[in-house]
Amino acid sequence: MSNELKSFLEGLDSLAHDCESRKGQACSLNELDELRIEFLGRKGKLAQSMGALGKLDNTDKPAAGKKANEIKQSITALIDSWQAELNAAESGKAMSQFDPTMPGRKPWAGSLHPVTLVMDEVCDVLTGLGFEHAAGPEVENDWHNFEALNIPPEHPARDMQDTLYVSEKIVLRTHTSGMQIRSMLKQEPPLAVIAPGKVYRRDSDLTHTPMFHQIEGLLVDKNVSMGDLRGTLTVFVRQVFGPKTEVRFRPSFFPFTEPSAEVDISCVMCGGKGTSDGKTCRICKGTGWVEILGCGMVDPNVFKSVGYDPEVYTGFAFGLGIERIAMLKYGIGDLRMFFENDVRFLEQFA
Amino acid sequence: MLVSLNWLREFVPYEGDIQVLGDKLTMLGLELEGIEDPFENVQDIVVGHVVECESHPEAEKLSVCTVDVGDAETVTIVCGAPNVAKGQNVPVAKVGTVMPEGMKIKKAKLRGIKSFGMICSESELGFSDDHDGIWVLDPAFKVGDKLVDALNLERTVFDFDITPNRADCLSILGFARETALAFDLPLTMPKLNLIESGGNAADDLKILIDDPELCPLYNGRILRGVETKKAPDWMRFKLMALGQRPISNIVDCTNYIMFELGQPLHAFDLDLIEDATIRVAPATDGMKFTTLDAVERTLTANDLLIWDGKKPVALAGVMGGINSEMHAGSTNVLLEAAVFRPGTIRKTARRLSLPSDASYRFERGVDQVMNRFAMDRAAQLMAETSGGTVVSGVSSNEPKPWQDRAHGYRHDRCMSLLGLDLEPDFAKKVFEGEGCTVDDSDPANWTVSSPSYRLDLEREVDLYEEVGRVFGLDQIPAVLPKVSKSLNTSVAAETQYGFIKGIKAWGAGAGLNEAINYSFVGDDDLDRLNLPAEGRVHIANPLSADQNVLRTDIAPGLLNTLKNNLAQGNNHVRIFEVANKFIADAESETETSEHSRLGILLFGPRHATEWPWAAGEADFLDIKGHVEHLVENQLKLAAPDFALTEDHAYLEPCVEVKIGDDIIGIMGKVKEDIADFYHAKKDVWLADLDLDVLRAMTTAHAIKFAPLPIFPPSRRDVTVIGPATLQAQAIRDAIQNAGIKILESVELVAEFVPENQEEGKEERNLSFRLTYRHATKTLKDKQVDKEHKKVLAALEQNLPIRF
Ligand SMILES: [Zn+2]
Repeated sequence: MSNELKSFLEGLDSLAHDCESRKGQACSLNELDELRIEFLGRKGKLAQSMGALGKLDNTDKPAAGKKANEIKQSITALIDSWQAELNAAESGKAMSQFDPTMPGRKPWAGSLHPVTLVMDEVCDVLTGLGFEHAAGPEVENDWHNFEALNIPPEHPARDMQDTLYVSEKIVLRTHTSGMQIRSMLKQEPPLAVIAPGKVYRRDSDLTHTPMFHQIEGLLVDKNVSMGDLRGTLTVFVRQVFGPKTEVRFRPSFFPFTEPSAEVDISCVMCGGKGTSDGKTCRICKGTGWVEILGCGMVDPNVFKSVGYDPEVYTGFAFGLGIERIAMLKYGIGDLRMFFENDVRFLEQFA
Repeated sequence: MLVSLNWLREFVPYEGDIQVLGDKLTMLGLELEGIEDPFENVQDIVVGHVVECESHPEAEKLSVCTVDVGDAETVTIVCGAPNVAKGQNVPVAKVGTVMPEGMKIKKAKLRGIKSFGMICSESELGFSDDHDGIWVLDPAFKVGDKLVDALNLERTVFDFDITPNRADCLSILGFARETALAFDLPLTMPKLNLIESGGNAADDLKILIDDPELCPLYNGRILRGVETKKAPDWMRFKLMALGQRPISNIVDCTNYIMFELGQPLHAFDLDLIEDATIRVAPATDGMKFTTLDAVERTLTANDLLIWDGKKPVALAGVMGGINSEMHAGSTNVLLEAAVFRPGTIRKTARRLSLPSDASYRFERGVDQVMNRFAMDRAAQLMAETSGGTVVSGVSSNEPKPWQDRAHGYRHDRCMSLLGLDLEPDFAKKVFEGEGCTVDDSDPANWTVSSPSYRLDLEREVDLYEEVGRVFGLDQIPAVLPKVSKSLNTSVAAETQYGFIKGIKAWGAGAGLNEAINYSFVGDDDLDRLNLPAEGRVHIANPLSADQNVLRTDIAPGLLNTLKNNLAQGNNHVRIFEVANKFIADAESETETSEHSRLGILLFGPRHATEWPWAAGEADFLDIKGHVEHLVENQLKLAAPDFALTEDHAYLEPCVEVKIGDDIIGIMGKVKEDIADFYHAKKDVWLADLDLDVLRAMTTAHAIKFAPLPIFPPSRRDVTVIGPATLQAQAIRDAIQNAGIKILESVELVAEFVPENQEEGKEERNLSFRLTYRHATKTLKDKQVDKEHKKVLAALEQNLPIRF
């Protein structure tokens, strides 16, 4: 090896050492850039050392070139690694000051009224079974609300519903059943409709508000039986209140159905045991059952009033109070809260 | 309906658990509401024996008694009653006992002598109105026993809810029948032991009935020589157990029979009945009649009266008259047992607000065949309890005798309706168990005759119900029906429910809370908003004056909601409501037209008050933004026009919202004086949109996809300086009407109002960004500049503006 070559290579090695010895001196990305220029810039130390390359013997040039390349790469790698360290430190500092617990820019949260939530849920279950929506007026005439439903004037059943009157023959509908009549007058069987809406009674106390919501269901066809009614309501109850809910049919009386039944479900609070926390359950009053709806087979007189032949068709009807179900479902104790519309109440429902 | 267990057991030997009985009857359709102890309020009273009784040394009206109450030691009780005496058995409330009125007995010192308890009178224990002194009990009673046990009082009374069809269950007898049916037990009727004393009642009293439909049967019995006094204890206690206040032996006997057998009865003082005549005939319009509660009633021709030969003596089936009632000195009795038309009794009792146990039973229908037995048993009890005698025979008029009713019964049809498969024998057993007679000589179509007490068994389908009820509706196998549909109806367009559901989902998504208000408000609420008086639909029998009229506008309910919330300290209220408003409409079959509305109310901060939201109160642009978002983004309808309207009833400013020629609603700020009433100290922004119109538009509107642009847009901004009275829409219109084909859209990007402007010459700067685009090529700058200049020229030409 020629001396010239030897000293060239030594110069390169000392350059590398020089750079290594500068470790830790560049504390910022700017200082590091200066360092990079000092060694690798166009007029940097490496470039200066390379000036001696031309003076070497041609036979030494390949070895010298190779070495120079190695040194350039090792210095570059060294400075890159320092830059990576500096970058990591910078971003670590930035992250340590990033506060994910500051409040988000959250839009107002709206809500649906619990009556709407339950109404939609019930309607969804029933439309899923094939029922279609029907609608009718809230101010009804006596015929649709009472007479066509087999409730003649003077009938004691009129006492079952305290009525708000507009005039002698016009009432605020006391139930959604009037919509059944309108649907049947419009259409021949088969017929499967649900009629949700507001209803009104002349009643106001802890457990009654003068306005509340009902959903009425009606199915008319050939050979509809009480077993069909039980099946429909069992499916409905279990979808709304859970698959383990027990359903009980108790004979009752409604003028527009015969036979008629009231439907109780196993108490949602105590699970039908009648007691919770060792005390008599306040929801079911210890009976283990809560009443949720009324139903029955459509009375032949109702069919006659809309011109259906009761010898050909049978059907079932049921009606349920939405607030009652919402109270059970959400654990709302006071019926009047539904219509006070306190936003702190409303905001609790999605 | 209260049912006493021991009374029930006189008819049917049920010895089982009382809850089991209640549950079983519940599942037969007689719903048990509760089981009560009617004498719970005196359960701690004990039988005491007065061992010594001396005058109080300090007060001669007081006695100092030494009373044995069955405890190890006697107690001293100072007693003020004049009739207390040594050797008596008396009811004693010991120290710690709570009296029926709620007073707790404590140790007391009376004129220096300590007293440990109280010797009670009948009135103090709620057994009579007797204030004459302490209650002296049977000397045979065992000292220390509870009074309720010594008197053998009823401790179990069921409270059942009876549906209007089950008139037969408005008596102990009716419940006995159902209990016998439920537990397969024998039914025993009370033995009649009526002793007649000669004469002939038919000679003493003539009964005339004007209209057999109104009164199919009127029976009368006559008793002579009765003494009106307190009824015997056993009778009084049984009535008290059912919550009845005993009155006198004669009246108590009529009540006793009504509760036992279901037949209401009435006792007249025979000596006050003139001309030995009873006539059943309607009243006349406007005539006055004083009932035995001393209230003068004005009658109508629909009311049915009982008359004697000269005057009305009772409001049939509802209440007797004061001119013929039994009183302390009465000695001769006319006992009435009649059947009246249910609807007539109901109408009178309702109109006069005179519901009574008697009218309640007549309204639902009484057993015409049982009538005679009930009357005879009542006459027997009256004679036994009053010392009177019963005149032989009955004065009777039955213009419309009871007709047995027969109904066809097809077992297969019954099974198909119930969804059951039972042997015909089961049905037969049910019917016979209920007192029906069954002719099944035609196996496919039986003839079933129902008994006179089951007025609800009127039709074949009523028999189906009996089969289902007795078998147990709860035992019917549940199946899911096949819901068939006809081709024509299942292709329904979106329903109103579906449309409203979408609107509500939008409201909740837009950050509003859904409210539901009553459909009725008070006239005051509407007057306050200056809403017109005509067109209001009033409720004839409102619960209160603030609920006497249906909403003619959505606003009153929303404003009441705002007021309620402010009262609760809720200072941001952002609500919406979907509801009908109601307008009188003579054309409608319901005399009312109903209009579906969406109301939105914004009050308080625009955003949550928490950082990082900027502070700021909701203003016009917030309410407008909601309307625009609903109409344009949710319903995908055209951008509406907004125009200021003047003289709105309760909004100022009030902006009318239109699409084309259709008004879709209004919005604006509630006038300040009105807002004040609702305690709103900040602006209240309200929108009221017509959902009927919007739904019709949405249904008619079909979404058409427009291809996406291929070539790039060019944008130019312009700031227009104009008078502050110049509306943004006018500038926008002028830009859009300049006839520039390549103008794609115009956006307002900034508003600037310079400060310190000269009064009357206020200006503002509005900056618009115009987007130009050509459908088939890339626009050159020059070309855009040329078109943009045309726009500016048009603006300058048409509006009082500069740039
Ligand atoms: Zn419970």
